[in-house]
Amino acid sequence: MRLPKMDPFTLSLWVIALIALLFFLAKDRKRTLGSMQMTKGMMGGLLGELTGILFLIGLILTFVPPETIKAGLGQSNVVLASILAAVAGSVTLIPAFVAFPLVGSLVNVGASIVPAVAFLTTLTMVGLVTFPLEKREFGQKFALYRNGLSFVFALVIAWIMGVLK
Amino acid sequence: MLAGFLRKNKLLSLVATIYIVLLITLPGKAIEAVQNSMYYVMEMLMIMPVVFILTSIIEGWIPKKAIISGFGEGSGIKGNILAFLLGSFSAGPIYAAFPVCKMLLAKGAGIANVVIVLSTWAVVKVPMLANEAKFLGPKFMATRWALTTVSIFIMAYIVAKQVKRKDMPMVEETAETGKGVRIAAECCAGCGVCAKLSPMIFTMSDGKARVILETPNPKQKQKAQATAERCPAKAIQVD
Repeated sequence: MRLPKMDPFTLSLWVIALIALLFFLAKDRKRTLGSMQMTKGMMGGLLGELTGILFLIGLILTFVPPETIKAGLGQSNVVLASILAAVAGSVTLIPAFVAFPLVGSLVNVGASIVPAVAFLTTLTMVGLVTFPLEKREFGQKFALYRNGLSFVFALVIAWIMGVLK
Repeated sequence: MLAGFLRKNKLLSLVATIYIVLLITLPGKAIEAVQNSMYYVMEMLMIMPVVFILTSIIEGWIPKKAIISGFGEGSGIKGNILAFLLGSFSAGPIYAAFPVCKMLLAKGAGIANVVIVLSTWAVVKVPMLANEAKFLGPKFMATRWALTTVSIFIMAYIVAKQVKRKDMPMVEETAETGKGVRIAAECCAGCGVCAKLSPMIFTMSDGKARVILETPNPKQKQKAQATAERCPAKAIQVD
């Protein structure tokens, strides 16, 4: 079984996070513990979905051959795949926290990064589900412009990242 | 109890069912799938404590109030940067940003700054950048962050050119003042902080907070006010 190793980047994040945590605990223990409790509540709500996605990745990698992923999301039809990915990202409302491992696993087995970026960017920036709420709060014109522009820019960002790679 | 769990964890229940069926029909494939998942489970376990600690520190120590009071109609570049910082150092989904932005608009913040807060709140979250770097690589994360930041500022400029204040629904004062404690259900992220801090006033049902004591006495009102300040989605209103 292939297992990940602790890379230097993650290790340095651990060091930074732990030093910062000790610093703020020393500064005001109660305040820091209080906000940790709040974060625990917020992140705890995601655990079910997160576990579901992580084990769904295993199913996808086992049953969908890498060639199929490469053919569907790879370099060959990157334009169509990216537009579909951007649409999929716009209509789903899952936290990015949960989406990163899923997208990462698809890229690892050969999906192009262009649809991956398009999906990740519209996932957070465009909200079809929250559109009515946004319209009510800020007006139709604002909501249309903000979501429309976000969709277009998500594709632009994805395209540039594909070129840079 | 079980029905409630299934309803709250649809995806997990579905995936678990598939695994059970597989274990019976194709046990070899089920084990292979678990092994394939373990790599990502391990990666998540490596990065999750970091995300947790960073989010806690940001929630507890970033002076959001000071940032918000720096806004104003004519605060120019400084206002843009404050908006960017406010969005980047906030937790919660995009709809949690709506009430905050309404408040900023009422305080005279420009439309460009509202776009900046909403978009950065949605996309650029500091602890999430750590998570993204773990699963897609630091270079991927940094490039996407830089491109997104530039895009957000361009979008803010375009939206502010096209949309004027008169296109927005009036930022009215809440009509029913003095009504006590209310929760904007669509904003509630279901974190449960309020129910933990003031179990006399708030309770959790179906993953959302609910008010059980709508007309509090002054002392309870004070408690509710203190709790409202701790709500990450700013979904609680006390008046």
